[in-house]
Amino acid sequence: MPAPFNIVLVRVDNRLVHGQLLEAWIPRLAAESLIIVNDEVAADIFRETVIRMAVPKEIELNIFTVEEFARTHQFEKGEGKKTIILFGNISDALRAFQQGFRFTQLNVGNIYSEDCVLCCSRAVCLGKKELGEIQALLMEEGVSVELRGLPKDKSVDFREFIPAGADGRY
Amino acid sequence: MIAMLIVTHGNLGSEMLKAAEMIKGKINNCASLSVDQTRGVEEITREMLSDINRLDRGKGVLIFTDLFGGTPSNISLSYLKERKVEVITGVNLPMILKFFEIREKCALTEIAPQVADYGRKNIYLASEILARKIKG
Repeated sequence: MPAPFNIVLVRVDNRLVHGQLLEAWIPRLAAESLIIVNDEVAADIFRETVIRMAVPKEIELNIFTVEEFARTHQFEKGEGKKTIILFGNISDALRAFQQGFRFTQLNVGNIYSEDCVLCCSRAVCLGKKELGEIQALLMEEGVSVELRGLPKDKSVDFREFIPAGADGRY
Repeated sequence: MIAMLIVTHGNLGSEMLKAAEMIKGKINNCASLSVDQTRGVEEITREMLSDINRLDRGKGVLIFTDLFGGTPSNISLSYLKERKVEVITGVNLPMILKFFEIREKCALTEIAPQVADYGRKNIYLASEILARKIKG
């Protein structure tokens, strides 16, 4: 088991590491560690190298496949380095949750589905698949899911976009 | 002639091109691509590929981006392996002007480091120049 992490943000962002994360979230949360959970990046040495160059040297950076991450990490708050967990899509976040990484809050930054059925903001357009996955997180797993691109933006609860189940519950 | 594509957040790229043309006059075989939040990475990636294909006249394309680690830069870097491109991040006006001056003189692989170096060297803190002058 790795050293304990103090998880300050669990985020889904199609763009993974980009300007918003580097220039806004990391400094605002004073994050000391970043964990990228993405099968493609974990298998692509070129993308990994670019990300390692972009992330400030003082930030500890780890990259895992979804399965490896969920097997070796638990959701923790409190002790250890302030850590941001970054997924590339909702599906990976849901998969990690179901395999044991039990987060309680999920931040959604940029999702752009080509077969958009629900456009929640300029940066978040959900396809049928993503919509179902968010519903699963909200309703079955009791995770609170917020839409928020930048720390300065207002946090918007996804329940504003997604109707409750037949029994009125999420 | 080596082509140029400038890929940035918002309209920075097209405005920088306008500024360069203000100084140099009309510039051929170059384009800008704006990356914003309203479009997905796949769509921007496709658009960039069609820009590269359209611009490249056989000598390759020099791509300028604004911020290493940002989306414009991340997408541009994905073409390093499959297309004849070089990517310079942290674009500034001096490097664009330098590129237009030497774009027909040598190959892309020689031009790219020269342009990057020129851009780096053309950043001054004015008070330091002043202090140097007084001292000297």
